[in-house]
Amino acid sequence: MRLRAREVAEGVFAGAHRSARRGTGVEFGGFRPYVPGDDLRWLDRRSLLRHDRLVVRQFETETDRAISLLVDATASMAFRSAGARGAKLAFVSVVAAALARVALASGDPVGLSFIGGDRHNGPVARAGGREQFERIVGALEAVWPGGDADVDRDMVKRAVQWVSRATRRGAIVIMLSDLIDLPPHSQDRVAELASSGRACAVVQALDPAEAEFPYRGTVRLRALEGKAVVETDGDVTRSRYLAALSALTGVWQNALMARGGRLLRVTTADDPVRVVRGIVEALAHSSMLAKRP
Amino acid sequence: MTFLTTLALLATVLVIAPYIAHRLRRRTAQEQPFPPTRLVQPAPPTARRRSRLEDRALFATRAAAVSLLALLGATPLVRCSRLALQRSGGASVAMAIVLDDSMSMRARTGGASSRFERARKGARELLASAQEGDAVAVVLAGEPPRVALAATTDLAVARNTVETIAESDRATDLDGALVLAGDLLSSLPQTDRRIVMLSDLADGRPDAPPLGDTSGTPVWNALPELAAPAPDCAVMRADRGGARVRVKIACGPGATAAGRTVVIEDARGNALGSGSTQAGSIADVAVLLPSEHVVATRARLSGSDAVASDDVTPVVTEVGRAAIAVVADTEEESVVTGGAPIAEQALWALKLDVDIHPIPAFPDRAEDLAGTLGVLLDDPPGFTPEQRRALAAYCGGGGVVLIALGPHAAAAPLGASLEPILGRPVAWSEAGRATGADPASAMGELAESAGGLLDLGASHRAVIAPDDLGALEPFLRWTDGAPMVARRRVGRGVAWIVTLPVSIDASDMALRPGFLALLGAWARDAGQGAVALRGEVGASWTFAGARNVDVQGPSGPVSTTRGEEGLRFVPPLIGSYHIVVDGQVETRVASPVVRELDLRPRRAASKTVGAGIGERRASVDMSGYVAFGLLALMAFEMALRLSSRPKEV
Repeated sequence: MRLRAREVAEGVFAGAHRSARRGTGVEFGGFRPYVPGDDLRWLDRRSLLRHDRLVVRQFETETDRAISLLVDATASMAFRSAGARGAKLAFVSVVAAALARVALASGDPVGLSFIGGDRHNGPVARAGGREQFERIVGALEAVWPGGDADVDRDMVKRAVQWVSRATRRGAIVIMLSDLIDLPPHSQDRVAELASSGRACAVVQALDPAEAEFPYRGTVRLRALEGKAVVETDGDVTRSRYLAALSALTGVWQNALMARGGRLLRVTTADDPVRVVRGIVEALAHSSMLAKRP
Repeated sequence: MTFLTTLALLATVLVIAPYIAHRLRRRTAQEQPFPPTRLVQPAPPTARRRSRLEDRALFATRAAAVSLLALLGATPLVRCSRLALQRSGGASVAMAIVLDDSMSMRARTGGASSRFERARKGARELLASAQEGDAVAVVLAGEPPRVALAATTDLAVARNTVETIAESDRATDLDGALVLAGDLLSSLPQTDRRIVMLSDLADGRPDAPPLGDTSGTPVWNALPELAAPAPDCAVMRADRGGARVRVKIACGPGATAAGRTVVIEDARGNALGSGSTQAGSIADVAVLLPSEHVVATRARLSGSDAVASDDVTPVVTEVGRAAIAVVADTEEESVVTGGAPIAEQALWALKLDVDIHPIPAFPDRAEDLAGTLGVLLDDPPGFTPEQRRALAAYCGGGGVVLIALGPHAAAAPLGASLEPILGRPVAWSEAGRATGADPASAMGELAESAGGLLDLGASHRAVIAPDDLGALEPFLRWTDGAPMVARRRVGRGVAWIVTLPVSIDASDMALRPGFLALLGAWARDAGQGAVALRGEVGASWTFAGARNVDVQGPSGPVSTTRGEEGLRFVPPLIGSYHIVVDGQVETRVASPVVRELDLRPRRAASKTVGAGIGERRASVDMSGYVAFGLLALMAFEMALRLSSRPKEV
């Protein structure tokens, strides 16, 4: 995973990431049009006199931007269909490790916590530096999927509380989960992380079979969390399943967008490099909207 | 069909088992993990409904497999039997196939194909079982027996030969064919020799000794099922005289033409007249035509019997019976016999199927001898120039004469001679010490009867001039070597010369049995050389002295062969033959042979059952093919199941 995460991160470095937050600082970061509410101290008078336009100057911030990774390690994340590259947990672990590497390379501290998982899998406190990457990778490699929302309905609540306490204003929270079989109203709890000056992105990682429902004829399906067993006809049920999945995603998306958060849906068949780059770009866009100085 | 076979076939009912299984089969879905199961709605009851006949290919495969299994169990029922050779130790075999191509083999008994076709198929099967190194000969049993293929190891040639053999209307000569087949095999190096008889055994002699009993070579009657009696009637002849057509019908044992009708048709098949036949093995039917001028082409016997080809024959214009003319001194010999001359009485005694016409002298015109098979001249006092021209024309057209030389012939008057038979005068000289024939010198048909011509008590005999001796072909000589009976060819005809007259005053020759044998041989020669309008199928028609003969038979050109007596051919089919002999056109009709109408099979020797010679082998044992098909179906089903297996997700 360590090598794979580095490889993914290298691919992302070749892309668009420029982690530092633009805002108040000492290093000039460019111009942008004035919008009401901007600090008048950064109004560029020369541009006003020369072009009769209100333009504010931007500076690279000197403050770090902590990233908190929240990885879903419930039992459902262990699912891997035939033909899939790997289990969902493995996929999100690579993505999480790559994100940590990108962030750490930019000087941002990174923390890691899990939803569910083995009870011995504790969170990794926010920190920076090369050793932190090793710690995060070690934690991701050691995590073992487990946990059932039917049994432990507070698992998301505990994870969110830990992230809330561990992050401060300006931090970025990235949740990597399949959003399946989570306790009710989990989307509201996670969306709260997008408040208090934090940027939040949720990556819904699905297996290709979950995204497409390729079953034909009569199938008997068993959930990995809970004891739900359903016998159905794949041809008949496919469209209704996909509609239900879209509805679930829509609920999460609405909850996040209401708080300025972002939702990305990916599958384990996607290229992790593209996924990480998509997350970074989404966060950049979210930061510009939500954390404008 | 055995009980087990029936039981196995009944198992085909189980073909519906896969259908029922497919109909009743419930989808037993395999449980699979799927995290978002809560988002999946249970399908309506159709998920547990009785499955449709979804996989038709699989169902068809299983149904076919059940059928094949049942068929496999019933294999003896569908076993395909065919003839095959048995060989001991793998040694090469010499085989002579006696294929019966006689008219009786045209019978269609118990099937759509004729007996001949079944026999030909049997020959094919036998040739298929032959191996490299086997020698094969093919002999045809239609009369006269012929060698269709001399012994050869080229099996391809043998197969081609079998394919080219056609049915005929010939009589049957199985005995001759077996002898011929044995001769063909006798000189072959193979020690394992056999004769395979493919015949219905109906040779018209059902009471004759069993076939194959005396053959030195093992004989296998390979197709005993062909030997079955069947009723058959034939139109033997249809002769027209004026507006009346006389039709002769003959039937074999157990058959009757009663109730059947003889129809006279023209060339287009239109009926010109008809007549009903009467019961009996031979029936004559007279049919009156509308007028003398209508052209009647053929006579057809209505109805059907075993052989159809002999139910029709061409109508020919009726001519008088053939005759033999006798020129003898009636005044002198009548005193001795008190009746007809000795030669005439001897010919009557032979009971030839010809009329005997005594004539006072050889005619001056050859036309006067029309219809005359031969002329017997007893001591003629030479021939006048007119007679010589007539004699030359008669012999040139194929006529046969017998001239008995005596004192009158030797004392021919001035201007008379024996030309064109003898160019020089003959002398009537003392016999001396030669008083009879030398049996050792006898040839041909006289060989057996020459012993009866010893010591004839002749004081004198005719002596032929040495210049004429070179042209003669002596049959019998005097004890001193001079010719007693000789023959020479004159044009297309033949002249027999006897150096004694028939008169008993000259010798005892006419009183000896050998004299009758001599006349009989001459009469047969005359009958063969004469132009007979009607003959039997299979009997040779000879054209002595002819240089070119073209024959057009019912089924096309017929090839001629050149024998010792000249060009000849054998009509193989019933019908008209248009013959061109050195530019002269004539028409002859070939009629069926009466004995061939007897379809009762002759007995075959018990040793011809073929044990150790051949077998009716189930060489195309369906079980192997069925089993192979079953395996293929199983493989196909496995492939189907693999291809249609739901992909694991």
